[in-house]
Amino acid sequence: MTVVHIRRAVLLAVLVLAAAVAGLVAGRAVPPAEVWEVLRGGGDPTARHVVVNLRLPRTLVALVAGASLGLAGTVLQSALRNPLAGPEVTGVTPGAVLGAVAATGLGLAGWESPAAVVTAACLGGFAGAGLLWLLAGREKGDPAQTAVHGVLVSAVLSGLTAMVLLVAPGELGSVVQWLVGSTEGRVWEHWHLLWPWAVLWSAAAGVLAAPLTLLRCGDDQAAAAGLDTGRARAAALVCAVALTAGAVSAVGALGFVGLLVPHLAFALFGADLRAALPGAALLGAVVVGGADAAAQWLSRVAARALEMERLSIPVGALTTCVGAALLLIVARRRREE
Amino acid sequence: MNGSLRQAAVATAVLLAVVGCALCLGTPYVPPTALGDDGIAGVIVRELRMPRLVLALVAGACLGAAGLVLQEALRNPLAVPEMLGVSGGAALGVAAPLVLALSVPLAVQPLLAVGGAAAGGLLTLLAAGFGRSPSAVLLTGAAVAAALQAALLVLMVLADQLDLQIVYRYLLGSLSARTWDDVTGLWPWLVVAVPALVLCAPVLGVLRLGDDDARALGVRVRHARIAALAVSVVLIAPVVAVCGPVAWVGFLAPHLARRLRPGSDAVGWLPWSAVWGALVVACADQPARLALAPVETPVGAWTALLGVPAGVVLLKAGSRR
Repeated sequence: MTVVHIRRAVLLAVLVLAAAVAGLVAGRAVPPAEVWEVLRGGGDPTARHVVVNLRLPRTLVALVAGASLGLAGTVLQSALRNPLAGPEVTGVTPGAVLGAVAATGLGLAGWESPAAVVTAACLGGFAGAGLLWLLAGREKGDPAQTAVHGVLVSAVLSGLTAMVLLVAPGELGSVVQWLVGSTEGRVWEHWHLLWPWAVLWSAAAGVLAAPLTLLRCGDDQAAAAGLDTGRARAAALVCAVALTAGAVSAVGALGFVGLLVPHLAFALFGADLRAALPGAALLGAVVVGGADAAAQWLSRVAARALEMERLSIPVGALTTCVGAALLLIVARRRREE
Repeated sequence: MNGSLRQAAVATAVLLAVVGCALCLGTPYVPPTALGDDGIAGVIVRELRMPRLVLALVAGACLGAAGLVLQEALRNPLAVPEMLGVSGGAALGVAAPLVLALSVPLAVQPLLAVGGAAAGGLLTLLAAGFGRSPSAVLLTGAAVAAALQAALLVLMVLADQLDLQIVYRYLLGSLSARTWDDVTGLWPWLVVAVPALVLCAPVLGVLRLGDDDARALGVRVRHARIAALAVSVVLIAPVVAVCGPVAWVGFLAPHLARRLRPGSDAVGWLPWSAVWGALVVACADQPARLALAPVETPVGAWTALLGVPAGVVLLKAGSRR
């Protein structure tokens, strides 16, 4: 941790706070002035309810889910030594979605029992990652090949998810939001489930920071330094899948956060993971929290323009579109080099 | 020649089996001897099962041929319509008016699909610098496809519960409740696309050599790629307009064609790619109709489930050789 990194981390923390504030005042029903009143302990009961029981948990869930995704992506990219590895393209996210949808559709878990959904999402995430592991076979070293296989795995899993949804069509409406990633209607219950999980696995990621930094240098160097590469990599994968599954079960399949946040983190904090991991967590929180606030604000503008009252743009749509644009820029830049 | 004879025999056998399944099985079961009868069974066969089978074959042939054109033009075994934003763009063009409750005449629907598909494909090509490096195209395409997918999901969030079922089925690709009208709507597009295909096939073989060699032989690489994209858009968009983006057919069919005739070139693979595409969709439509009866599953879900693993196996076998 150099002085520059600490300064950047503090700046990011301020940005996280800013995103949280933006998320709190971005809604339709309560104007910013009243939110301030409520936070100071005043305000009328309705406004109190909206802010304390709806907006606050929603904002917190968005921030923590973003942090989890950022961490998961960073851990994955380091463990696989693949700049294109993200939870979305390694089968983890689609697998988690499939697990959760299947559990709901088959009546094993309801949306009223989020704990069961987290479990199912975890199992699904591991299944997706395992499938990729089997498919990639001996070609694990080649980043482009792994990305390609990941896309294929995602396609299979999406097909399965579609099947499940067609067998249980009643769930479709509630699940669609979740296929794209959304923070609508998140309450304290989700938060109580999410934060212990996120804290636990973030600590695990912190423990893994040093071995992962070694792994990034290459297997031979890491082995020479006395690291059991196979075991370290397996532990890292478990950690990444668990973080992703937690985030997915809370806010759904947010696109491109886990893929692009690590790139930003490495650019800002260098390749040493002891600095880059906390940085990635902060960045992820800023990105998702900010996107959540922006999505709410956009929804209001669009609803007024189109005169459609029920229009709400899911936050995942925003992250995917921005992420796709960024990916295009990255792909272009890499080609010109 | 031996290889193509064997291939023809296999294809014919599969075709006969599929035709039998498609016309006889289902509720009610119609025995093969009774196919020509009048009465209720005859009407079901002629007005429901026949058009569905024909549509499956035509749609599959279009997707298979388009897949081969794209793969050869971009020198990438994974350049398939759904990875380049072509399918997604077409689906968006069709689904948007449906959800936003804009009434669109039936004749305009394919045009919307063509517009969407061309926009998606061109965006990918432009962003990837016209396919100079095969892997850049794939990454760019994945990004474009993901963005289009997000837009489609936003549309689904907007849709009412009733619309949602229809839209979702459509987005996966489904042949249920298609009639002769849908089939006749495809012919004009085919009249345009087939000659174009024949014209662009020889160029594909040259593009395969790499950009510099192709230039040395006097081919304008950029123009050729855009032409190939245009041909595949004209092939894909009308199919998507009628039965949704049936996934991964454009990936599987060309690989089958290549595997079964390894010594051939683009011109030789093109007809076979169309044949296998037709057979793949027709085969996948049988479990779609029958597997979870009385609920129909979308054919696209089956092609994704069966097509991707099969394609991966073929890819692996191809890379080992």
